[in-house]
Amino acid sequence: MQLLRSYRLLVTWQALRKKNYLPLMMAVQTLFSLGIVLGYPLLFPTLDRTSIYLIATGAPAISMVSVGLVALPQTIGEQKAEGSLAYMRSLPVARLSYLVADLTVWLAIVVPGVILGVLVGAWRFGLDLQVSPLVVPAVLMVALTATCVGYAIASVLPYMLTVIVTQALVVFVFMFSPLTFLPDKLPGWLEAIHRVLPVQAMGEVTRGTIAPNEFGLPLGAFVTLAIWCVIGFGVTYAAMSRRS
Amino acid sequence: MLLQIEELTKVYRGGTRANDGISLGIDEGEVFGLLGHNGAGKTTLVNQVVGLLRPTSGSIRIDGRDMVADPGLARRLCSFQAQAQVPIDGLTPRQAIDLLGQLRGLSRRDVQGRRERLVEALDLAEWLDIDAARLSGGVKRLVAFAMAAVAPGRLVMLDEPTNDVDPVRRRLLWRQVRTLADHGSAVLLVTHNVIEAERSVDRLAILDEGRVIAEGTPASLKGRLGAALRLELVLDPDLVELPVSPFGLSAVPVGNRLMVGVPTDAAGPAVAWAETLKRAGSIDEFTLGPATLEDVYVALVGGSEATAAQVEEVFDATAA
Repeated sequence: MQLLRSYRLLVTWQALRKKNYLPLMMAVQTLFSLGIVLGYPLLFPTLDRTSIYLIATGAPAISMVSVGLVALPQTIGEQKAEGSLAYMRSLPVARLSYLVADLTVWLAIVVPGVILGVLVGAWRFGLDLQVSPLVVPAVLMVALTATCVGYAIASVLPYMLTVIVTQALVVFVFMFSPLTFLPDKLPGWLEAIHRVLPVQAMGEVTRGTIAPNEFGLPLGAFVTLAIWCVIGFGVTYAAMSRRS
Repeated sequence: MLLQIEELTKVYRGGTRANDGISLGIDEGEVFGLLGHNGAGKTTLVNQVVGLLRPTSGSIRIDGRDMVADPGLARRLCSFQAQAQVPIDGLTPRQAIDLLGQLRGLSRRDVQGRRERLVEALDLAEWLDIDAARLSGGVKRLVAFAMAAVAPGRLVMLDEPTNDVDPVRRRLLWRQVRTLADHGSAVLLVTHNVIEAERSVDRLAILDEGRVIAEGTPASLKGRLGAALRLELVLDPDLVELPVSPFGLSAVPVGNRLMVGVPTDAAGPAVAWAETLKRAGSIDEFTLGPATLEDVYVALVGGSEATAAQVEEVFDATAA
């Protein structure tokens, strides 16, 4: 009961803190999606059907990953550096309440961008997407994993290192992760790495539920995401609870 | 004692000994000041009490209960105003104070009543519904104080609460600090503003390089200095050698000044000595006044260039 009460109050607090940034964050995510669905056809004037679907479904996946693995860790890193995270940790609430409340607000920030991304893609390519009802748990799972892993990065690393790592992740996610292309385009060693990392699974789950007629839904991807989600949450929880 | 700290030591990774065997106690109803330079170890101590840092050794007890073993309980028993600004941009002061009150277990109705009283007492009404992102640093400090005071714990810890606050509202804030103690909380006040502390605290400890170098009431510490008067000499910039005090008490250089302790019955000779120095061109001007807690602080900790040896010297001089 006490956990729920503090959860509700902390969600209010964190949502109010982020409300000024929410429109900006949504604008950035929409720009991501727009950039991808408008930019790719400029690079590759003739796109086959699979590529079009990959790009349209990859855009929302990229927007989720970019918030979770880039914007979130940078924000948390800033909060660590300025001391506001320590203040929140000094409040008389369970660490679990705080962490789940903050993740809830981050999820709420991510989801509108995903919807916008899908709509932008469908509009640009004139697609008639037969979206699966599984898209709801799938998107939540992807967004939660991205935010948990992002949180873990910021919790463990010092701020400057967080900034550097997330900048590197931007390049890695955009250019070398199978979100807008299939993994077999990658060199063998990178393909092997992606089988273990969560980004490929995020792409597979997203496109498998947004365009189920075009792509299968590999259950293994859900398992990979669940494992990373637990690792991310566990590392973050341990870091939040730790007294140095 | 409500808060009892015994032999508290904190050594950071890298070897910095931020707290070195600190022992002190604070009773309920008491405002206790923790004074010291930047880096003296004040914030480290507070962060250990509230469970953000784990002590290397030593114990922290509130009402006899072990806070090191149960940091969750520590957070419930302490309300805390941190040195850093509170993360409330996006919230109005009303929302921030109410949320904190409710997080500390007050009902919505109770928190409303307490918030109204605090806002009135701190004269914050005009900012109550403005986004904190648009408030000045001083007003934010007051809001942070109100957040710590709205549902005070057994121990209220305030880390530099008056930073950036205007002089009028500082007085209002000090009055509320006293009210917290009057209602039964123990208040631990961290500050380097000695003049304000003298007026506001019941007892204090002076921290230097992680150790308590003096503890007592402002009056007892001033008594320990042995000087009821303070002669402040503004030294000539070209002066090569510091004047030697004929009074046998403390004489501590602070920047271009020399703070000289003077016994009560030596006011006349002190002025005469200072006049001589002025005629000789050693000093530009001087002031003679009652000794303050600041003099004790300066005598013990010195200017930024003070060394442990100087502190020992002052102790020896005052003990003699």
